Amino acid sequence: MVGQHDENMLSDMLPIYYSRLFPQNVFCRWLSCGSAPQPLSNRELSFTLADDVYLRYLSISNQKELQTLLQKKCPHKLDIGAVYNTKPSVGRHDAVVLARELVFDIDLTDYDEIRTCCQEAKVCEKCWMFMVIACEIIDKALKEDFGFQSILWVFSGRRGIHCWVSDHEARTLDSPGRGAVADYLCLITGGDNQNKKVHLGSDNLHSSIRRALNIIDKYFEQLLQDQGFFSTPERLEKLSKMIPDEALRSQVQKNLDSMSDNSLDRWKTFINTYENYCRETGINVRKIRYLVEEIKIQYCYPRLDVNVTKGFNHLLKSPFSIHPKTGKVSVVFKPSNAKNIKLDEIPSIHSLLDDSSPDNAQHQANMRTAVKNFQEVVFSLEKLEAIRKKNDANVSLEF
Amino acid sequence: MDLNIRRKSTKTRVTGSLIESYPHDLQMYKLPPLENISLQEFESLALERVTLLRSLATSTTLKGFRIYSEEWVEYIIGELRSQGLKYYAKLCEKSACGTTEADLQARRKDHIAHFILRLAYCRTEELRRWFIARELELFKMRFATMRGDAVESFFKINNLCYTNISDEEKSEIMHFLRESTPYPNLDNMKFYKVKFYEVLDLVKSRRVYLSCGFAYIPHKDFISVLAAQYRTQLKQSLAIACHHLGEIEQDERLVTLLKGLHQSYSGADYSSVKAVVPIESLDSLSVKSFPLCMRQLHEQLRLSHHLKHGGRLQYGLFLKGIGVTLEDSLRFWREEFTRIMELDKFEKQYAYNVRYNYGKEGSKKNYSPFSCLKIINTTVGPGDCHGCPYRHCDISNLKNRLQGYGFNSQAITEIIDMTKKGHFQVACSKYFDAVHHTDLGIGINHPNQYFEESQKIVKGEVKVEVKKEVKSTAVKMEAIDQIEEMDFDEVM
Ligand code: SF4
Ligand SMILES: [Zn+2]
Repeated sequence: MVGQHDENMLSDMLPIYYSRLFPQNVFCRWLSCGSAPQPLSNRELSFTLADDVYLRYLSISNQKELQTLLQKKCPHKLDIGAVYNTKPSVGRHDAVVLARELVFDIDLTDYDEIRTCCQEAKVCEKCWMFMVIACEIIDKALKEDFGFQSILWVFSGRRGIHCWVSDHEARTLDSPGRGAVADYLCLITGGDNQNKKVHLGSDNLHSSIRRALNIIDKYFEQLLQDQGFFSTPERLEKLSKMIPDEALRSQVQKNLDSMSDNSLDRWKTFINTYENYCRETGINVRKIRYLVEEIKIQYCYPRLDVNVTKGFNHLLKSPFSIHPKTGKVSVVFKPSNAKNIKLDEIPSIHSLLDDSSPDNAQHQANMRTAVKNFQEVVFSLEKLEAIRKKNDANVSLEF
Repeated sequence: MDLNIRRKSTKTRVTGSLIESYPHDLQMYKLPPLENISLQEFESLALERVTLLRSLATSTTLKGFRIYSEEWVEYIIGELRSQGLKYYAKLCEKSACGTTEADLQARRKDHIAHFILRLAYCRTEELRRWFIARELELFKMRFATMRGDAVESFFKINNLCYTNISDEEKSEIMHFLRESTPYPNLDNMKFYKVKFYEVLDLVKSRRVYLSCGFAYIPHKDFISVLAAQYRTQLKQSLAIACHHLGEIEQDERLVTLLKGLHQSYSGADYSSVKAVVPIESLDSLSVKSFPLCMRQLHEQLRLSHHLKHGGRLQYGLFLKGIGVTLEDSLRFWREEFTRIMELDKFEKQYAYNVRYNYGKEGSKKNYSPFSCLKIINTTVGPGDCHGCPYRHCDISNLKNRLQGYGFNSQAITEIIDMTKKGHFQVACSKYFDAVHHTDLGIGINHPNQYFEESQKIVKGEVKVEVKKEVKSTAVKMEAIDQIEEMDFDEVM
């Protein structure tokens, strides 16, 4: 059962997990395709061992070596790094990073200032909704705006999701390029000292923001109710601090304070107050033209850890590795299916290896689905790479 | 790079070849100059270009003009004229393809001077960044003032051929173009399709319509494509130049000259210190001598016994810079962090980073404390409280904080006013004066410089008198996306 995870048991269970359940073959194919034209052995892997010993600059040339390495070291945490110009163990600090998947890391701890159901390491079905929205928005943007095709979505093992883009163009994007993509996707900025963290200006809304808002609208009211965004005086206070216009702020405060504490009702009243105010004040509203949108975004839009995306060689937890704190498998899921994920149906190393566990059968099945999802992405990546190689060959023939 | 310097210049020049080398006022500086020039010319060309680049910075920061605005350009041209740099004024005002001797000589000087400064500014990351940012501004300004025919020939000369999208394609996506392109009257504009990574500045600020990896840009945004190419090329050649510095520095006269050129604008980097500051004094120092960015981090750390990564980096390096030893630093962070976590966790997860800052781990570089420029430009996310308070705090929060410190209302108003206008470093200077009860108006460009200036007063090394002196390289809001962010890859 979930919740009965014991870190000390990992050392016994991991060797079995790695040889029986970890999809070694697909994993190696994914990584070698994502390392081309460099050999798989130029890709850095890093292990964290039972006693927190941290091994960097490891690499493998094939599946056999992977199996041997996993058995020998039994990593409690398995991370993937960049592709270097040489074997990372040889180059170490001097090796040059040549490529790396474009990665995104979204973690629920970054939602602590807005989620009300859980804090820090905790996560429940209610706040999982934030991840569902994040996944849909980022996935669409990567496909439609940037034209990326090989996108892998992975459960981080505890309270977030990771995304790996393996298209050649994404892998070889330089640091400024990654920074620009990250900034393009990042609408929420500002630290603990800024209350309003979204500023959309007063010109037309960019197509990508419109699309994101359409996605948010599908979930907004549900989320509003689940989280009770405006249901207490403190939460209302947060809302009113986001209103830059003083007159409007006091109107909103007056109207919302006196009504029932249902968040949806309050939201509707807020919208009414806002619209009336805009109508009455007319020209004066440029500053708050997109206030409603800004609030929705602050409460729902993905909160990316941009440093992970910007960094060229940030190590990120491997798909299908076990989260050392929860024992859960970092399963690969389809973005279209994110909303159907039930957290307690995500397989854990315990339920998978213990066939007397009540979850065993279902978790086995979910594990198989996850591996199948992984395979699908890898197959399509292999096709993409084949086409790219053919085109490259043609281009070089022309000269 | 191949700059031969001779005592006397060879005065024989063939104008015919100058026309071939310099067909256009605007250059991409792809090839280094090959001719020999005198040391004297070398020196004056270098100084003149420094003046030029500096006037760009002044126009943005001290004068506070919006970058690329008319007043901004006007100020620069006026400045160049008054300094007797007519040839730069001309090159900047309206780039074209004239063929008079004066035109050609101006371009020749422009070319050589650019390459001399590459040598002077390739030395450190900080210098490179300053230089690239200014050269890019210069390039963009000159491109923007060009007339239509000059633009066309510029494209031709540089082999830049692009075809616009068909009218059908355009009308199909017109709706999105309107949403995402920040210009009026799109109907009459031709649109071009380029890969998204050719116009990263537009992507970054969402000022372009993207679809399937392509960016759809109108003619006037081509400057983004060019600037990006130019920036990449400049970055690479500065890295190469830095590698070959040794060869050039055989000549001592050059060394002195090149080093002298930038020193007045860069200041110290505070990566090595002599004084030792005991951590016991940090509480009182944070009140007396820390700039607000560091005081805020210090207080946050004392309050919550934790700082997120960005805060640890910014504050940790600052402490190193004022003279806190590695051992003390470890003790300091350990004492705070272990109030909310096991010692074991601290040693495993955080001690590494502290030693890293001191160049004892990882790639073992001796990292410099961050300058204001860098702090102002960092990204600050939820849960963070680093950055520059004048840039990264809501006005109301800032005001509360200042009131909490007990400043008088006039001082507070002055600080807030500057903050609102986007003059963050000037606000910082006002804060300095409020803390020290002075009216010095010191230009602040580095938190460690702030600290040192403050210590001078506290220790009575400096007599406080009312005196104005401004030498800051302050940044304004508008200038921010012009400046590159440093890669944090290694630090993560
Ligand atoms: S201006 Fe510089 S020293 Fe002053 S608070 Fe901002 S970053 Fe710190
Ligand atoms: Zn929850």
